[in-house]
Amino acid sequence: MSSVRPKLKPETPKAVTGWATATGRSVWLRADGTWTEEAGLLGVFTGDEAEARLAAALKQEAVVTDPYFMEVTADGKIAGRETLRESMRAEPTLSFGGAA
Amino acid sequence: MYRYDQFDARLVSERVAQFRGQVERRLSGALTEDEFKPLRLQNGVYLQLHAYMLRIAIPYGQLSPRQLRRLAEIARDYDRGFGHFTTRQNIQFNWVALQDIPEVLEKLAEVEMHAIQTSGNCIRNTTTDHFAGAAQDEVVDPRAWCEIIRQWSTFHPEFAFLPRKFKIAVTAAEHDRAAIRVHDVGLHIRQQDGVTGFEVHVGGGQGRTPHIAALVNPFVPETQILDYLEAIMRVYNRYGRRDNKYKARIKILVSELGEAEYIRQVEEEFAAQRASEKIDLPAAEVARIHAYFAPPALATKAASSKQLDAAKAADPAFARWTRANLHPHKVAGYASVTVSLKPIGVAPGDATDTQMELVADLAEKYGYGDIRVSHAQNLILPHVALDDLPEVYKALDAAGLGAANESRITDMIVCPGLDYCNLANARSIPVALAVQKVFADPAYEEDIGKLHINVSGCINACGHHHVGHIGILGVDKKGEEFYQILLGGRADEKAALGEIVGPGLKAEDVPAAIHRVVEFYRTQRTSPSEKFIDTLERLGHQTFQEALYAAG
Repeated sequence: MSSVRPKLKPETPKAVTGWATATGRSVWLRADGTWTEEAGLLGVFTGDEAEARLAAALKQEAVVTDPYFMEVTADGKIAGRETLRESMRAEPTLSFGGAA
Repeated sequence: MYRYDQFDARLVSERVAQFRGQVERRLSGALTEDEFKPLRLQNGVYLQLHAYMLRIAIPYGQLSPRQLRRLAEIARDYDRGFGHFTTRQNIQFNWVALQDIPEVLEKLAEVEMHAIQTSGNCIRNTTTDHFAGAAQDEVVDPRAWCEIIRQWSTFHPEFAFLPRKFKIAVTAAEHDRAAIRVHDVGLHIRQQDGVTGFEVHVGGGQGRTPHIAALVNPFVPETQILDYLEAIMRVYNRYGRRDNKYKARIKILVSELGEAEYIRQVEEEFAAQRASEKIDLPAAEVARIHAYFAPPALATKAASSKQLDAAKAADPAFARWTRANLHPHKVAGYASVTVSLKPIGVAPGDATDTQMELVADLAEKYGYGDIRVSHAQNLILPHVALDDLPEVYKALDAAGLGAANESRITDMIVCPGLDYCNLANARSIPVALAVQKVFADPAYEEDIGKLHINVSGCINACGHHHVGHIGILGVDKKGEEFYQILLGGRADEKAALGEIVGPGLKAEDVPAAIHRVVEFYRTQRTSPSEKFIDTLERLGHQTFQEALYAAG
């Protein structure tokens, strides 16, 4: 997609995010392997497990589009260079279509 | 307005069927996103920050009431009840599910609309003066030629995979309301010794490397314009930079070759084209297209209106609206009305389903069924009798569309920014609305007069910040939004690029800084009739820069 995605070290806590293929809504991978539209429910992964989770997501073309790693803290808060963008995805600050 | 013939109808319906199959294969996983992306882009479908976005073409910004009602229906049934009108006179829906898009395109096709060539590296929607066909200062109605260019450029096999996207704008008025000098090709229709022709500008654009277009030919007769466009496109297609996306627009080619060499190559190609392929449009075909744009049969009216005068005397808010939102019509007793989509506190360019339906109703009842979209993200009723203005205003105002701010400081061009856009670095809408609040008093705004503020959320400049009298550019500095201020841009016949005047400001500091600049202007203008941009050009940027950064 648009932004240049930062390369994250294996030990850096990360989440897997992308867009639901049918609707285009932003989704995040939960620890149980399902996808959620609520960023607060995202799973936190590191190391080989994270790589495996992303690899599996990349194979779910019909379910999720363009999955990638986003940096988070160990307790699942958005972190790192893309904090602003990812925060906007997770928690929009605009009342879409209404008075702002 | 133009109506589809059997070729248009067939092309559009076949494209809908084709895309339906592509979407089905994407949803089943048979197509990967990498395979699907170029296909969806050819149909105006982007994947944005929160959802798919569907961009629908509104050729040269003209809509019928039936079409606007259909857009309202789509907003209600497939989106969140609103649509967003864009700087290229199109509309975008921001929440349409991919699985619904084939159905949406089918509904659009029923009213002779589509999303073809609203994305991708092809020739995009040809834009024009939103007062076309009504403006006193135009030499001819430019829409017929926009339509001819649309037909020539739609599915043109040679120009379907250009180095980069390509945008053409046309004006026929001395005062350029179509921003032609910041388009890849800008055409100014002129008349010379009884012949209609085109002054051709090439290589304008904004984005990360803004350029004002070069004048490459002062007069190309109308009978030769398609050949000339072929020559322009062919040189670009051959030598445009395909190795670097950021250098792929025609403005870079013109700049790197130099204007003289670029013109030489175009003229050489043009001569070859005239000698061989030569596009000779039959006069009857040109006349047929022109006939679609015959002026409406306006009833004869007096040049002034007692009803209008009485309503203005009775209602100061209405009187203010008439001073701001009316444009002189070529026929006495009529005016062109700007329906502002910039009420205080609403994302600029957004209209709800019910607002769209209201404008469609008003166009039918009072406006000869004609609606336009302006590149400044407003709607226009180009032909309204002066007698009917009080009723039109009353209805608009009741629906939240009565803002009296056309070309004024709260009538900002604003890109969707990081609230929607996958490319943006910073939010545009909140900072624009914060600035709007400072100037929300209508009397104060009227005193300031014409002043364009344009806001972009990244260097791609979709919010035209380079050509705002005041430009605001959002940047991301280590996760925090900052806003650079530009001064001195303009998009009209004196087109100029604004200059960044200093370090970026935090979002919360932008409104006060803009206020200081405006107050400085008010103290420095020679009279209330001297516009902001004229005072700025008279005094230079330095003094305004000092006002901008003065301690608040």
